[in-house]
Amino acid sequence: MTAMARYNLEKQLNILEYALSSLWRRRMKSLSVLLVFGAVIFLLASFQMVTQALSDKARQVLAHTPEITLQKMSAGRQEGIPLAYRDKLAGIFGIRRVVPRIWGYYFDEVRLANYTVMGMAVDEMPEGARLDTALARGTMPGPAEQGRAVIGSSITNALDLAGRDTFSLFRPDLSLKSFVVIGEFSRDTDILTNDLIVMNLADARDLFGIPGGLVSDLCVYVANPTEIETIAKKISDALPSVRVLTRPQIQKTYQAVFGWRSGFGSICLLSALAAFVILAWDKASGLSPEERREIAILKVLGWETSDILAVRFWESVIVSGLACIIGMTAAYVHVVYGAASLFRPVLMGWSVLKPDLHLLPRLAGGDILLILAFTVIPYLAATVIPAWRSATVPADSALGG
Amino acid sequence: MLIELSGVSKTYNQGRANEVRALSGIDLGVEQGSMVCLKGPSGSGKSTLLAIIGCIFPPTSGRAAIAGRQLARLPDRFLTLHRRETIGFIFQRFNILPELTVLENITLPLLPLGVAPKERRQRAQELLERFGISHRAQFPAGQISGGELQRVAIARALINNQPIILADEPTAHLDTNLSREFMEIMQQLKEAGKTVVIASHDPVVFAHPAIDRTVTIQDGRIHVP
Repeated sequence: MTAMARYNLEKQLNILEYALSSLWRRRMKSLSVLLVFGAVIFLLASFQMVTQALSDKARQVLAHTPEITLQKMSAGRQEGIPLAYRDKLAGIFGIRRVVPRIWGYYFDEVRLANYTVMGMAVDEMPEGARLDTALARGTMPGPAEQGRAVIGSSITNALDLAGRDTFSLFRPDLSLKSFVVIGEFSRDTDILTNDLIVMNLADARDLFGIPGGLVSDLCVYVANPTEIETIAKKISDALPSVRVLTRPQIQKTYQAVFGWRSGFGSICLLSALAAFVILAWDKASGLSPEERREIAILKVLGWETSDILAVRFWESVIVSGLACIIGMTAAYVHVVYGAASLFRPVLMGWSVLKPDLHLLPRLAGGDILLILAFTVIPYLAATVIPAWRSATVPADSALGG
Repeated sequence: MLIELSGVSKTYNQGRANEVRALSGIDLGVEQGSMVCLKGPSGSGKSTLLAIIGCIFPPTSGRAAIAGRQLARLPDRFLTLHRRETIGFIFQRFNILPELTVLENITLPLLPLGVAPKERRQRAQELLERFGISHRAQFPAGQISGGELQRVAIARALINNQPIILADEPTAHLDTNLSREFMEIMQQLKEAGKTVVIASHDPVVFAHPAIDRTVTIQDGRIHVP
């Protein structure tokens, strides 16, 4: 190391040491700035982590949905689709299988919660056997298993099923239909299955009172996933009154929902950050008489303006670095161990039964850089730039008259 | 001459409505190893003259040469660098930072010079021992007595072994005993070859036998009786 490099290194280490001692001397002020800044970073990082984790989870779960879903529309509303439409699709090349599905919402007046009920023909689905892998226990109900159901994790608590495995739901004519729980969805799939009750097609038809020959939608599985759009167009041509939803469209809708919600939240949080930066700027622009005196003394003792700016810079780096570590660690703990409880009302579900999610936050290098760009850099700018004015306090103000 | 001023004037806020002429036509020479007192009432221009000698700012007009370097037209950065090497300051009320320890206060001038912590401590320790306050090294400066504070201020002015010591009203807030003690230390420094300039209107200072010359400043000019 050259003498000049050694001199510069020692000088910066000395200035860093002075910055640390300066922060310690003003420890109450430093601590309050650290806590407020840490809280802002915590909110931003939590939001980013939750959004990423939810998007990842939605992507994973939606990967197993049908490639194309068909729904019959009338006057802009969905109505039952005839099973006979399957015959009209038989001639379209590339369709592997068409599977009927009945689904709807069941409003529980006692608990004031909506459950999602789905009747599936598991035996007809290409991935029918693999669906069992989404279960924490049990198997999916087969076509011959009447009165059997698989439930999401929140349903157990909502229906108060502890210690028993039967429950009943009302048909439209208010007669009761009983079910035996034969399986429970894994919590990894909570984002889609939390409030879900799955049964076979006949039970769902019975529960909702849907006439024979009609279902809620038809799930179309294709042989070649790259042909989804082409096949969807052919179906649209063959069945003009049918709404054709492709898997990529559904995935985009989910992404847009999370994107909109996270965007809304981000705007609120960035406003808070902007307020903090303005406050930091304001505080850094003004100097107390003690601070003016200290700067004047240092200048008389041979400190240059750049040395005093370096002290301010290191103070800001230390505060923002610590705030980042504290904020991001707290955000990780909040998302992993606290299930992102602060943001659940904003980011998740429309049901009264909010999923009890176990998220694994993903924070890539790009996300960390983004958080640093939105927090540390504005803070450094807000504290170091106005410090220039402070550092130009004339040295002679330390002398008497 | 270590300090040589010729026709030095200083005007604050030149050309503005609040223009103040603080010094006019000052001619002053101070030889190396001598002790000079700048005497005069408050507002007479003593501190301004001290600030020019201390390379804090250059004069508005006239020539000022400190330790062989002409100050006029010297950029602020070079004034600072020259001040670091040449001038040790002792302020009125000593201007010690009370939250820092005695040791930290004394070593403040060494931080921007890139002096390593070990050497800083070593140099400060030598001065603390010389002035009999080594037991106070780790005390916060705000918790020591006035006499100790005075010695800390002197130690800080000597830490970089500068040839010129400037003191601005150093005894203004000291009792007579401490003022005498201060002058004894200044005498020792003079005997060690330092050039000492003290701005003061305290008789303990200007009447001290170690003072080689007293210069009276009045209304920004040297007053010749």
